[in-house]
Amino acid sequence: MKVFIYPTNSLILSDLVERFGHKPLAMMQVIGKKVRTQGLDSPPLNVTPEDPKFGLKYAAVEVPSGVRGRMALFDPLLTQAEAAVVVVDPVLSFGCQGCARTNELVNFLLRGKKIPLLRLDYPKDEEEAKLFVYKISEFLKSLKPEEVKK
Amino acid sequence: MTVTETPVRIAELSCGAEYSGIQPEIDSAVKQVNAVMVYPEVETSEIETIEEELGLKVASPDLKLMMARAKSIVTGKVHVDAVFISTCFRCAEAAIVRSEVRRYINENTRIPVISYSFTERTTAATLLTRMEALTTTARRKSLLAREKQTGITAGIDSGSTTTKCVVMKDNKIIGKGWVPTIKVLESADEAFNNAMKEAGVTRSDIQALGTTGYGRFLIGEHLKADLMQEEITVNSKGAVYLAEKQKGPATVLDIGGMDNKAISVLDGIPGMFTMGGICAGASGRFLEMTAKRLGVEITKLGALAIEGDAKNVKMNSYCIVFGIQSLVNNLAAGCTPQDVAAAACHSVAEQLFEQQLQEVDVKEPVIMVGGTALIEGLPKAVEELLKLKVIVPPNAQYIGAVGAALLSSGFISK
Amino acid sequence: MDTINKMIVVKSHKVLPSDVAIKLYESKPDIFVKETCYGVLVTGERDVVENIILDIRKLDPYGIFIKERGFSPGEPFRCRSFRHGGSKPGFHNLQNDDAMLTYIASGLKALDKGEIPVETNKKKKLDIDKFVEIIKGSEVAK
Repeated sequence: MKVFIYPTNSLILSDLVERFGHKPLAMMQVIGKKVRTQGLDSPPLNVTPEDPKFGLKYAAVEVPSGVRGRMALFDPLLTQAEAAVVVVDPVLSFGCQGCARTNELVNFLLRGKKIPLLRLDYPKDEEEAKLFVYKISEFLKSLKPEEVKK
Repeated sequence: MTVTETPVRIAELSCGAEYSGIQPEIDSAVKQVNAVMVYPEVETSEIETIEEELGLKVASPDLKLMMARAKSIVTGKVHVDAVFISTCFRCAEAAIVRSEVRRYINENTRIPVISYSFTERTTAATLLTRMEALTTTARRKSLLAREKQTGITAGIDSGSTTTKCVVMKDNKIIGKGWVPTIKVLESADEAFNNAMKEAGVTRSDIQALGTTGYGRFLIGEHLKADLMQEEITVNSKGAVYLAEKQKGPATVLDIGGMDNKAISVLDGIPGMFTMGGICAGASGRFLEMTAKRLGVEITKLGALAIEGDAKNVKMNSYCIVFGIQSLVNNLAAGCTPQDVAAAACHSVAEQLFEQQLQEVDVKEPVIMVGGTALIEGLPKAVEELLKLKVIVPPNAQYIGAVGAALLSSGFISK
Repeated sequence: MDTINKMIVVKSHKVLPSDVAIKLYESKPDIFVKETCYGVLVTGERDVVENIILDIRKLDPYGIFIKERGFSPGEPFRCRSFRHGGSKPGFHNLQNDDAMLTYIASGLKALDKGEIPVETNKKKKLDIDKFVEIIKGSEVAK
């Protein structure tokens, strides 16, 4: 299944989801597509002023352009998400995850999708990390596997 | 500006620019003024502790990064010549951080700072004047240190509404020209000729010429100017010169025909500045339209406003369309032209106060310049809002031209 | 053809980034490999890269972590040598993630051993009556 991860650029979540046989929906894929798109030349991310306009799908015009631009990037991930693993209190993360308002909206929209959703605290020590990995593993097992890669 | 000059290092402290699609516009403006954007180095641990250190807690990680980068500048970990602080327009959290980071850098360094809030519609052209001012302040400190005009020089200020020119000799204005801007070059020629005629000089007598304002490049090339400079540095220089406040802090306010500027100056050099341009409600155009509606000359609007009381007029908008409509409705409801004129001045002053003066630290003396400063009701409304005395120097309407003539005298020896 | 970049983070006692790079080179398909301070970046066609990393994981399942990366190696708009200083925003994220990898590895090992971790109860806010009691107690002590 296609599993949305939050923070959406997390190495740990992306790795675990893939390791346990599902497809992580991560921001890096969206950015990769953006920067490889021919014919756009708006470095560094190839986000153009058209993206914040597209973001009007999620937020009104009085919402800052940076929120709407980020929402345009989140759009394909939110649209495809069949399940989600969300770290409730991630440590600092920047760039695509750098805006608190966007992050709040993304989490709200995820909830509204009524898809299987696992919410976790960020581990602070080894014991918590064990529980973190265990919970993710159990959650992902409970989903219909996309393709088990061993 | 020659390309052999070392590029000015501008630190970009921003949140949301890449996601608004305007980073290329920022980069383009920076490139045009021969500068490079620098992203100050920070350790991850520094980002984690910055909120405690500065005492400002924020939810957005990119704003924390912005604060940590500011600290790298203040502590000298990274060397930069100027700082550009920008965040999304209408983001409350970012507006607080933008303002505090600007203050933090200004209080701890002498590095010039400009802050700006952008939308996805922000273009390189909009940013260019600001970047030009920023790099000039960083690059041309010795030029800006000039306090006296020498020889015979002229300055032309090509504004969106009027074109002004002065000819100066030995630190005195000897000729002036003021014409409406119709065709940029022709209006400049006319203003220049009028000033030269009044001064009793010819083009060959002019030892150096400076241009400023919207049409500076076009006119500068046409008349082979020695200096083509944006209006932020030129006007602040002209303001402290005319007001005889060249030493110490000052705040320069310039409500132009289309936009307005608020500049925090120290020893005649801009330290923090902002330039409005998103809304025309805080511009001379608003007052021009009010005058037209009241059937008075713009030059008479100020005196009318002094006799009126803005409190008698209820305005539900400061917009140049709806605000004017509101004034018209008040006239229809029986308000006096005096009160309406006062309300228009108050509206423009309030907009300046709300939108520009929040981006700089207002320090006395406050000097109001530009043609709008002569509309007496306007400095009065600003005084009421700021609760301090506003200085309108003589020849305030020629501020850009005087600044350009003053600065261009630095080119005479060349 | 869809080209992707995978970031292979090596946090292993058994495997070095150079081992991963050699393994990638040995697989010989048309891929681009770059060693970095945290591991290896590999660029190539999606199917090819996704297949190769299955083998890479096997080198040390507890010491190799992989995610996709948007930018290609040395991308001038992200590479710090072109950006005049500061690291790209993702670097700080990676540094945070990296600090946690040893614990995640413990979690994966525990999982493979069939351990079921017990959830400890989180501390709740102090009951207000209890708090009042403590305050009164401290007043008496004075």
